[in-house]
Amino acid sequence: MINIFTCTGDEICVNKDEAYRYMGLGRNYSNPEFERIYCECLGEYRKNVFYKGVYRESSLSFGEGDELFFDFCSFKSHDLKRNLEGCKGVIVFAATAGINIDRLLLKYGAYSDLRLMTADCIASSGIECFCDRLNSIISEGRETKLRFSLGYGDTQLKYQKDLLSFLDAEKNLGITLNESMMMTPKKSVTAFIGVK
Amino acid sequence: MNIRDYLNKERLYSDGGFGTLLQARGLKAGEKPEMWNITHPDDITAIHLEYLNAGSDIISTNTFGANPLKFDNLEEIISAAFANAKRAVELCGKEKAFIAFDMGPTGKLLEPLGDLPFERAVEIFAEAVRTAEKFSPDLYIVETMNDSYETKAAVLAVKENSDRPVFVSNVYDESRKLMTGASPKAMIALLEGLGADAIGINCSLGPKQMVDIVREYVKYSSLPVMVCPNAGLPRSVDGKTVFDVDSEEFSDCMAEIAQIGAGIIGGCCGTTPGYIRKTVEKTKNIPFVPVKKKEYTLVSSYTHAVEIGNGPVLIGERINPTGKPKFKQALRDGNISYIISEGVMQEEKGVHILDVNVGLPEIDEDAMLVRCIKELQTVSALPLQIDTVKPSAMEKAMRIYNGKPLINSVNGKQESMDAVLPLVKKYGGAVIALTIDESGIPDTAGGRTAIAEKIIAECAKYGIDKKDIIVDPLAMTVSSDNRSGRITLDSVKMIKEKLGVKTSLGVSNISFGLPSRETVNSHFLTMAFTSGLDCAIMNPYSAAMMESYYSYRALSGLDENCTDYIDFASSLKKETVTVSSSPAQSESEDMPALVRAIVKGMKDEALRSAKELLLNQEPLTVINEYIVPALDRVGKRFEEKTMYLPQLLMSAEAASRAFDAVKELISSSEESKGKIILATVKGDIHDIGKNIVKVLLENYGYDVIDLGKDVSPETIVERAVSEKVTLVGLSALMTTTTDAMRETVELLKKKCPDAYAVVGGAVLTKEYADMIGADYYAKDAMETVRFAEKHFGGK
Repeated sequence: MINIFTCTGDEICVNKDEAYRYMGLGRNYSNPEFERIYCECLGEYRKNVFYKGVYRESSLSFGEGDELFFDFCSFKSHDLKRNLEGCKGVIVFAATAGINIDRLLLKYGAYSDLRLMTADCIASSGIECFCDRLNSIISEGRETKLRFSLGYGDTQLKYQKDLLSFLDAEKNLGITLNESMMMTPKKSVTAFIGVK
Repeated sequence: MNIRDYLNKERLYSDGGFGTLLQARGLKAGEKPEMWNITHPDDITAIHLEYLNAGSDIISTNTFGANPLKFDNLEEIISAAFANAKRAVELCGKEKAFIAFDMGPTGKLLEPLGDLPFERAVEIFAEAVRTAEKFSPDLYIVETMNDSYETKAAVLAVKENSDRPVFVSNVYDESRKLMTGASPKAMIALLEGLGADAIGINCSLGPKQMVDIVREYVKYSSLPVMVCPNAGLPRSVDGKTVFDVDSEEFSDCMAEIAQIGAGIIGGCCGTTPGYIRKTVEKTKNIPFVPVKKKEYTLVSSYTHAVEIGNGPVLIGERINPTGKPKFKQALRDGNISYIISEGVMQEEKGVHILDVNVGLPEIDEDAMLVRCIKELQTVSALPLQIDTVKPSAMEKAMRIYNGKPLINSVNGKQESMDAVLPLVKKYGGAVIALTIDESGIPDTAGGRTAIAEKIIAECAKYGIDKKDIIVDPLAMTVSSDNRSGRITLDSVKMIKEKLGVKTSLGVSNISFGLPSRETVNSHFLTMAFTSGLDCAIMNPYSAAMMESYYSYRALSGLDENCTDYIDFASSLKKETVTVSSSPAQSESEDMPALVRAIVKGMKDEALRSAKELLLNQEPLTVINEYIVPALDRVGKRFEEKTMYLPQLLMSAEAASRAFDAVKELISSSEESKGKIILATVKGDIHDIGKNIVKVLLENYGYDVIDLGKDVSPETIVERAVSEKVTLVGLSALMTTTTDAMRETVELLKKKCPDAYAVVGGAVLTKEYADMIGADYYAKDAMETVRFAEKHFGGK
C-alpha cells in the first residue's frame, strides 16, 4: 500500500540555520541587506513549493556477506547493511519539493547568482525539513533507524530506478530519472528507514 | 461507422480501469500489463468484452505504456492489443463500438527540466502511432498526461501521422493543476489550438473532486469534454488496495458530471464494468446538450491562460533588438542570460505576455529564436508572443512552444497570409493581423478595416476562428502626419464594432520624432484603451505607461476597490524611498565611493558612483583603479573568512552594475585574463561549491564557461577542445561520483594534453587528486583562483 502525504510551503518551517550553513554562514551571521534578500527568496520559495511524499513498506532480508534483499531489488552494501542491522523490514520513501522549484531556481539563475544560491540553499533545507516531518509520521508507533539515502556510503544510485518504480513515484510525485540516475524535480529525496 | 458521426451529437461512454482487473486476474507487481496482450489474450479480450456489455461505446487498447522507450517488440504488442480488442467487439456484436489506441506518458520529463528532447518525445509517440495506423483504430486517446509539453508532443505525433480523431485527457491534482503546473484553461487553449477532437480529465481524483474542473472545461471548451475519474482515493484494507467510492456513489456523481455537460464519460483506476453499467443506467435519461462554440480569445503558457478581451492586456516589448545596442551585442555573443533577464524583469513589472523578437541580419535567427523561447518558457510563467518575419523561424518556434502562443504577425499581403496562416492552423495560436497589404497602409479607418476583413476571410478558409485574430491597425507617427493618432483610434473602434474582433497596437511608434515621448505614449495609451483597445505592446519600464494602465483600470471599473492601483502606487513610493536612503550613510571607511559600494554590495550606488567617475576618468582607469581593487579586497576578505558568500555575491552584482556603466563607453569589451571551464562531474548534482568558484573567478576577470552539473566527460572535453581551453575545474561532492572525475581527467589528458585539471569538492583529497592524475587539488574557492593566476601567468 502506497501512502501519500502532502504539505504546502506554509505548513513546513524552513530551517534557517541549515540554509545558512549550506551557504557557509554561521548561525550568528547578520547582515541586514542579505537578510532582506533571504526573506524575499524564502517568500518566493514558499509560494512555489508543494511538498509531496510517498512511502511504502518492503520486506527485508539479509543474504551472504553484504547482500540485502527488498521487495523491489537486491544489492550489496556494507554501509546500508550496518544501518539496517536488527531490522525486520524497511519503509522506503520518496519526497519532492516539486517542479516549480526547478523553475524558480532557473529564473533566479537568469539574473542573480546571489538569489540563485540563496534559494537553492533554502530549498535544500526545506526538503530536508519536509523529510523530517515525513520521517516522524513513518516512525510513529514504530522503532526505526536513521534514514539512509542511495548514494550515501557505498550504495549505488542505479537502484534509484527500482525504488521509484516501487513507489510509483512518477505518477504519484512526478519524479523522473535522467540517464545518470539524477532525479527531477531536483529537490527530491529518496530513503530507506529500517524498522525494528 | 465513424465516431465523428456521434461526437457531440449524443453522449458516449468510455471504458473504466484496467489495472485493477488485470491484478485480479493475476498480474503481478512489476509485471508489464502490455505484455499480457501476448501472454494472456483471452483475459484482455474478456475485460474489453465486459466493458462493452456494460455499456461502453469506446474501449481503449491495452497499450498505455506501449512506446519504443519501454518495448523492443512494439509492433508485436500493438498488433496483439488490436486483435484482442477487435475480437471483443466481434463477440459483443454491438454496432456502436469503437476501438481507441490508448497512449500514456513516456515516463520521462521533457527538456530543459528533464532530459527528453521535445522532438525525441514526438518521435517516440509517432512510432507508436505509425504502428497503430496499420490496425486502423477508430480514434486515439492520449490520456493520463501530467505535463502540458509532453501532451503537445503526443498530439502532434498523432496529427502528423494520422487523420483519425484524437481525444486528449490530462491528470489534475487537488490544486487543479497538472503536475508541471498547467491550469485547465491553459490546457483547453493549447489543445483546441492543436486541433484535438475532444479533451478532458482522468485519473488521480475521484468524481466529486473533479466537478469544479469539469465546470471549467465546459465553460471554456468548444470541444466535447471527456471525464474519467478514479473510484475515489486508494486505501489499504487487510493489505489489499481498495478505492473509497463505490459504484453507487460513483454513478451518482457521474450523473451530476453529465448534467454539467461532459459528453464522454467513463472511469479510470479502481472502476470496473459494474461502475460503468451503473453510470450508463443513471445517465441515459439525462438529456444530452451538445457543447457550444465559445468566444474566448485565449493564449497560454505552461501554467495559465491569458484571456484577451477581458480588460486591457500588456505585452512587454523589451525583448527586441531594435534601437538597443546592448541587446544586439547580447544576440551576437549568444548571451542568452541577458535576454532571459529582460523577460524576467518585465514579468516582475506586471506585463501579461512577453513579445520575443531576436531578428538580427548577422545571426541565425531560427536557432536563436528557438533557444530563447525554450529558455524563456522555462523560467517565465507568461505566455509568449512569437515575433518574427521569417516563416521558418516562426514554425520552429511555434512547434517547440509549450502552450498556445500569440503570433506577431500576419498582414493583408497574400504572401504573408500564405506563409503564416497554415502554421497558425497546424500549431494553434492567436495571430496579430496588421492592416497593411500590397497597396500599403490606408489612411482611413475604413481602409484599414477593409484589410482586416480580408484577413479574417482568408483565415476562415483555413478554419482559423475569428476569436483567434487580433487586429493591429498600426499606430503611425503623429509628428509626420497629425491625423495619425485619430485614424488609428478610429480604426480600433471601427474594427471592434464592425468586425467583432480583438485589437492590439504597438503604442510607442506614435511619438517617434517628438520630445518627451513617454508623455505622448502614455496619453495615447489611455485614449486607445478608451477606444476599446484590448492589447498594448509597450515598455513596462516606463512609469508613465504603467500609471496610464493602472489608472485606466481603476477609472473604468475594472479594478475592484482600486486594489491593484493602490499596490502599484505604493510600490512606486517604496522605490523612491529606497533610492534616497541607499547612499552609504554607514561606516566612514576610507574608501572611494565606488570601491565602498562594491565592497558593501550596493548595486544602485555602484552604478551611480561609476557614472560619476566616468565623467572625468578613463574607462580603463575606473576598472583598474576602482573595480578591480574593490573585488580584490572582497576576495581577500572572503579568503580570510571575514566576509561571507552572500556578501561576495552582492559585491559581484554591484561590480557588474559598475561594469555595465563602463561598457557603455568602451566599444570592445575588456580583455579577459583567460578562459576556464567549470563543471560538476557526471552523476553529481551538487554545485554550490562550483558556483562559488565561478563567482570568484569572474570577479578576478576570467572568462568562465560554466557547463553546470551532472556533465559527462565527453561534453567537458569536447568543449575544452572546441574553445581551446587550457584550464578545467572539476567538482564532486559524492563519494560515488569521484570515478566520473577520474574518467574526465583521463579523457582530458588524452584529448587535450596541454590542458590542466584542477579538482575540488568535499570528498576529494590531495592524495586522490594525485592518484587520478589531476594537476592541482584546490581545497577551497580562493585556491582555484590562485592556481588560475599562476596558470595564466598573472596576465
